[in-house]
Amino acid sequence: MSRVILRQLSLLIITLILLSVLSFSLTYGFPGDPVTNSSGISAEHPTYEQVRETRGFDRSIPVQYVRYVQHLARGDWGVSLQDAQPVWEEFRLRFPATLELTFLSMGLALLLGPPLGIIAAMNYKRPIDHAITALSLSGYSIPVFWFAQLSILIFAVVLEWFPIAGQINPLLDVPPVTGAILIDLFYADASIRGVAFQSAIQHLILPVLVLALVPLVLLIRLTRNAMIDVNRKKFMKGAYARGLSTTEVMMTHGIPNAMQPVTRQIGTAFSILMTNTLITEVIFSWPGLGNWLVRSIYERDYPVIQGGLVLLATLILLFNIFISLIHAWRYPQVRQEIYAQS
Amino acid sequence: MTHKLLKLLAPVSLLLAGCQPDLPASADGLLYCSEGNPESFNPQLVTSGTTLDMTAAQLYDRLIDYDEDEHRFRPALAERWRASPDGLRYTFFLRSDVTFHETDYFVPSRNFNAQDVVFSFNRWLDTEHPFFAVSGGIYPFFSATGLNQLITRVEAIGPHQVEIELKEPDSSFLATLASDFAVILSAEYAQQELQAGTPELIDVRPIGTGPFKFGHFRRDVAVRLERHKDYWQGQAQTEQLVFRITPSDHKRMLMLLTRDCDVSPYPPARDIAWLEAREDITLQQATSPNTAFWAFNTEREPFDDPRVRQALAHAIDREALLRTVYFGHATMADSILPATSWAHTPMSDAFHYDPERARELLAEAGLPDGFTMSLWALPVQRAYNPNARVMAELMQSNLADVGVNATIVSYEWSTFRRHLAAGLHDSVLIGWSADHADPDNFFRPLLTCAAKESGSNRAQWCNPQFDELVQAAIRTTDTEERMAYYALAQTLLAEQVPLLPLAHSQRFQATLNHVQGIKPPAYGGIRLYPAYRLQQSPETKDAL
Repeated sequence: MSRVILRQLSLLIITLILLSVLSFSLTYGFPGDPVTNSSGISAEHPTYEQVRETRGFDRSIPVQYVRYVQHLARGDWGVSLQDAQPVWEEFRLRFPATLELTFLSMGLALLLGPPLGIIAAMNYKRPIDHAITALSLSGYSIPVFWFAQLSILIFAVVLEWFPIAGQINPLLDVPPVTGAILIDLFYADASIRGVAFQSAIQHLILPVLVLALVPLVLLIRLTRNAMIDVNRKKFMKGAYARGLSTTEVMMTHGIPNAMQPVTRQIGTAFSILMTNTLITEVIFSWPGLGNWLVRSIYERDYPVIQGGLVLLATLILLFNIFISLIHAWRYPQVRQEIYAQS
Repeated sequence: MTHKLLKLLAPVSLLLAGCQPDLPASADGLLYCSEGNPESFNPQLVTSGTTLDMTAAQLYDRLIDYDEDEHRFRPALAERWRASPDGLRYTFFLRSDVTFHETDYFVPSRNFNAQDVVFSFNRWLDTEHPFFAVSGGIYPFFSATGLNQLITRVEAIGPHQVEIELKEPDSSFLATLASDFAVILSAEYAQQELQAGTPELIDVRPIGTGPFKFGHFRRDVAVRLERHKDYWQGQAQTEQLVFRITPSDHKRMLMLLTRDCDVSPYPPARDIAWLEAREDITLQQATSPNTAFWAFNTEREPFDDPRVRQALAHAIDREALLRTVYFGHATMADSILPATSWAHTPMSDAFHYDPERARELLAEAGLPDGFTMSLWALPVQRAYNPNARVMAELMQSNLADVGVNATIVSYEWSTFRRHLAAGLHDSVLIGWSADHADPDNFFRPLLTCAAKESGSNRAQWCNPQFDELVQAAIRTTDTEERMAYYALAQTLLAEQVPLLPLAHSQRFQATLNHVQGIKPPAYGGIRLYPAYRLQQSPETKDAL
């Protein structure tokens, strides 16, 4: 296992270096002054010369790269070209909001997806299976932005169950401390905490449902297929022949084996979810990273685009490596494959 | 199957309907959906209507106000005022019972007095003033109207008396004082921040005398204002005022339907008839004097040639723009000045649709093969232009007909304005809403050399003859004489075409029925002080 961890760690480090090189190269890739692109300080600004020097733009490219990484590590991500606010400060409030949304959606997908897939597989070619398969197939073919608009129309406009913008009713004074609304509640005045919690949950339901849809149907389909494969295996028949009950067979032999290919794909599901986050945040006016990144692309706010890319890519990377580790830890044969290669 | 599903959903729906949370008393308030972020919290520094809506009438007061219904000035912070017979000296007698906001960052030790007025004026009058250069030192409205040149002295002649001396008589002076920009700030607060070494905070965390005080601003999310309990006109009925920042007009309308907003300005023009038919929403309109126009950057080639500008003016089918963009809720503009103004002189010949003539003019100007230009479309909805993007697309095809290739450019509102002021555009679709009732408001702030200096002249146009005409018009109080000068100025504009007037439109505002007491303003920003909420029982809420 330690070799697996080492392997994943070195992979992480190499990818991070590549990522930082790519992000640094954008400094020159974007049109305009490289100093402004990476720091957000325009040439007319009085501190321009100083910034140019500390970021090493008077020296060779490798020095500039090292300085760039140093600035990243220090949390000095430059200032936004739109309002001259420090990019990192804004990220600090927006990133938790995005994390909250993605992890709740991913959690929901993980909670519902595999069980539904197993139920479908156990009722293979029966009405329940058809219903679940049909549902997951249609869910898979609906584009997220369309599903979001549709759910707004049905659940918010017609039925009036849910609000459609922001994290909470802004009349409730919940100051943004971390950016993640469910955590910020604890910093709010105790007298409104109950109502604020209700309001926050209501604001979360629609975006979380919309975001969870794609990973959910992906997980259903994967689990179902894996489970059907496992059900055909001889050891399953053997287990039944030994007189074990269906529950016992599933719990000890069926599900653990079926989950192996599914676990490997959770990382993919997460990457898809992250891309959908950008669209969903815009539609639901969620004050997260995606919303800001989309607008910054529109505004050509290069320091923000650069920082946002690094942050999102790192998140996806970390999550994938985490899943790989779990996968290897949970399934010895995966570790063996890795050892065999090396 | 569907039946089962419905049964399954029924308790869920009950649960959800039941938990539209009843807000505690401290969270009572009004949700106003705004079109963009505020650029500043000090109206002296801005011209954008979005910022004025959020700040001017909410956070601040002026010396005098303009009564739109009775068409006269009425006392505000000044109880009464007196003009000297030669029209060069005005004395204002101030109220003594006015308190400034008390917040967690400032506790006033005294009431409003003459020092605050002197500070508020000198801040933008006196270039040596310690606060002049704070926040950029640009006061677009005052430099565009020439008020900073007009006023020679502001002096406190008593604790509650202020005298303002003018260089020459100006018939629009009181109107500019009643406009949203001439707000009164706290001299004591400014002093406190100056001593703390953070003078710029007075425009970021504002203190004023208005009915609401500043609470919190989160970019792209909301501006929260709280009630000023000791407001001199009596406290506002709503505890809080929240401006939710929602740039999309479609989203604002949806949020009105889902009760995420109580008030939504500038609903989508295509939905106006539909909104009017709804029983839970009140649709109001104000015939605010405004003009949408297409300004050419006259400093750039080929727009420095009047023939090119005339040609472009003839290339645009404005009839079609009115139908498609305004859905008929506007009238065609035949002058920069709206038809409601007494000085209006229509110049329809200069601007009518004639692509043949446009091609001829282009050929005369040496551009028979056309050229490529950028067409900037303002990114927010304004009273004068509900959808500049669509308008730009229509104009793009009009222009293609005469051989001009236009690319549409747009940025977020504050970036857009910054780039415009810097003159980076070839041409721009923008407009102007009157700040006060005087016709001068459509000339000096928009098209004079002074306006070019201050960055509010979108055409970057500077014509001494025009400047002389509008100056002459302002020096006299005789209406006949002024009308003659303005007619000449409008004729000059029709020849030179620094901009093409497009339309005068109505400002619409959609409000949920339970919010009462407000109306869309004719001049400047909205006043939310009189707003109140009808108490309603939960049953009526469900019935809606």
